[in-house]
Amino acid sequence: MSAQSTKPAVQAPSVVRQNEKPAVQAFPTVQVENGQALFLEHCAFCHGRDAGGGETGPDLTRSKLVADDNHGDQIGPVIRNGRPEKGMPRFSFSDTEIASLVAFIHTAKTRAESQVGKRRGVDPEDLQTGNADEGKRYFAKECASCHSPTGDLAGVASRYVGLRLELRMLYPARAEADATVTLSSGEVVSGKLAYLDEFTIGVRDASGFYHSWPTKNVKYTVKAPAEAHAELLGKYTDDDIHNLMAYLQTLK
Amino acid sequence: MTKFRKAAGIFAALGLWLAPALAQDDGVTSGMLLHPPSDSWPLYHGDYSAKRHVKFTQITPENVDQLALAWIFPTNTNASIKSSPLLVNGVLYFSVPENVWAVDARSGHQIWHYEHPHGKAFLIGHRGVAMYGNWIYFVTADAHLLCLDAKNGHVRWDVVIADSSKGYWMTMAPLVVKNHVLVGVSGDFDNLTGFLQAVDPETGAKQWRWSSTPPPGTPNATTGGMTWMTGSYDPELDLVYWGTGNPTPVLTGVTRPGDDLYTCSIVALHPETGKLAWAFQASPHDTHDWDAVETPVLVDGDFNGQPRKMLMQTSRNGYFFVLDRTNGKSLLSVPYGPVNWSKGVDAKGEPIPNPAKEPARDGRLIAPDEGGLTNYRSPSFDPKTGLFIVAAHPSYGIYFAKPEDGTFGWAGADYGVWGKGVLEAIDYKTGKIAWTHELGPGGAAAGVLTTDSGVTFTGDAHHNALAVSTADGKTLWHAGTGAEMESSPIAYELDGREYILMGSGGVLFAWALPESAINRTTARR
Repeated sequence: MSAQSTKPAVQAPSVVRQNEKPAVQAFPTVQVENGQALFLEHCAFCHGRDAGGGETGPDLTRSKLVADDNHGDQIGPVIRNGRPEKGMPRFSFSDTEIASLVAFIHTAKTRAESQVGKRRGVDPEDLQTGNADEGKRYFAKECASCHSPTGDLAGVASRYVGLRLELRMLYPARAEADATVTLSSGEVVSGKLAYLDEFTIGVRDASGFYHSWPTKNVKYTVKAPAEAHAELLGKYTDDDIHNLMAYLQTLK
Repeated sequence: MTKFRKAAGIFAALGLWLAPALAQDDGVTSGMLLHPPSDSWPLYHGDYSAKRHVKFTQITPENVDQLALAWIFPTNTNASIKSSPLLVNGVLYFSVPENVWAVDARSGHQIWHYEHPHGKAFLIGHRGVAMYGNWIYFVTADAHLLCLDAKNGHVRWDVVIADSSKGYWMTMAPLVVKNHVLVGVSGDFDNLTGFLQAVDPETGAKQWRWSSTPPPGTPNATTGGMTWMTGSYDPELDLVYWGTGNPTPVLTGVTRPGDDLYTCSIVALHPETGKLAWAFQASPHDTHDWDAVETPVLVDGDFNGQPRKMLMQTSRNGYFFVLDRTNGKSLLSVPYGPVNWSKGVDAKGEPIPNPAKEPARDGRLIAPDEGGLTNYRSPSFDPKTGLFIVAAHPSYGIYFAKPEDGTFGWAGADYGVWGKGVLEAIDYKTGKIAWTHELGPGGAAAGVLTTDSGVTFTGDAHHNALAVSTADGKTLWHAGTGAEMESSPIAYELDGREYILMGSGGVLFAWALPESAINRTTARR
């Protein structure tokens, strides 16, 4: 693609999806090229040169967030704020730079979708090798003390599909934890755990206020039931995972 | 300013005509590289052994809780500091991609800043510069090696090491060994040959090149084996030790049957010729992106009652290796955290990959994850306790590959599932973990430095700079730094004051005891 080209990188969309967002978003070539240069320098190592996934970063051309994005309304905040819990740093790009990155990512998505084969990533069809009955047995043994197929997991396969479901099953990142802090005065504060390192504990109380204390001055307990998922990681066989996936996918 | 300039001019003139040459006129000499003085850090690892251990005793377990900020230096860039600064003649030299700074190590003020025009290449990270004489050696993202004048950052020469249009890039800090500047290359998204190249420090001319893998297109052969990181050197054996990266295609091994030599290996090379002396493969037939470029730490000591010249590595694949560095023979190969991909080790001490754990269409849960049980940040070896201290990353990832993903570059997909940071102290004689110190969820990214007085410096997952006791891992001091710490600490002594230098985000932090506390300590002696 040349900078002198006057043709738009992609043609304007003719199909509009149900959510009224254009299926294909078109951007000026120069903007896409600026975005590509920035993407190459700052994003491509993790997300791949073509945004199709690289080291550690997901394939953006198949990302739900990118699919839902309308001219940066979803992508922009992620670039600005990062996803520290997933290892993505925040970037202080200008609005123009972010717009160009968004232009490049959408163009890469359009390009990837027009390619036959050579796609990296995981399709829901890839994750159908398990045995749902075996998975149900595993669930009864290892998961049922916290989860119920008719309670919290009712309809889970409608809420999450494919890889998203599998990753959430293996370890639900950013799951909430409850903390109870007993101050030296005897006062007890309970709420959502907002911060915890060796030195400081932070709690968001029921009215939304943040409080923190030096850990050495208080007693505290943290209830983080999702951490039980981490305990299972060393115990699974790959078959267990595939079977469990097969079972969870029946919970529509 | 004018007055100052005039005065400086007079001093310069006097210096030129009357005073004997200052020691610093020679810059970095071979002697300094062999025996770095305490007021210097002239190599990426501080010295050739890469122990990242200093003989310092001013900062102790008893007084480290008084450690305070001496200065900070903000780079005011988007980039995180991943480099290990050099210190020569009171001046620090460090980098982020396409940028080098010279900063006064006493005050933290900038002396010069060099910015290289951006090529079309990844700005993923930069590990630092090398120095020989009064010249700085700096690699660019688009795989050039630059020689800069240490006085002002002006470019003396610029040579191409690899063709960035093919997919090579560079991040590493070169290593100066005698009359050779050793530079390595990176590149995982194309099927390329990895190599280490020796360059003439004066002219930039190529002296030799050692290739880790055959040329692309060789039937049934691997490519890859990138030389991402800075190696170590034993002057007595006159051998250079270097780690090589993963094979390509990365997540599938279908086009590269067998062990894929010399990828994921620790190699010993003769510095005069680049000829291979020996190789030990950390991950035969790797399909998980676990390069073996983690610091090859050189330790002399007893092993099973016998004095040995050893090489130790906490490898990305989860194994702690102890080798006899005279011949590459294994002394110990043992996991230092969760590892589920191997069927044990063979007679050579090399792990045996389990084919059932290769990436597959329906996914394989693998420990550790792609980032590995540790990564590029340096560990430290404490000679007094015999502890090898590493910021470890117990973790699980899920790996996928299918024929549609092809056999070029990444050729698959993988996703981190869970991980955490743990500082581990490994007894090198047994591989047993003497103590651990939790560093927080996700993982911590800082390297490790130890002192003779028994203090270990690192950072946790919450951006705290940390000092812990080398003996038992107990916390001695901390300070929040506000951003992820992604480099390895260094230490130096200037004017009788010890400094600990750490990077956090784009900011350098210099810590030291308050001068009043140092005076009291000195007075008591």
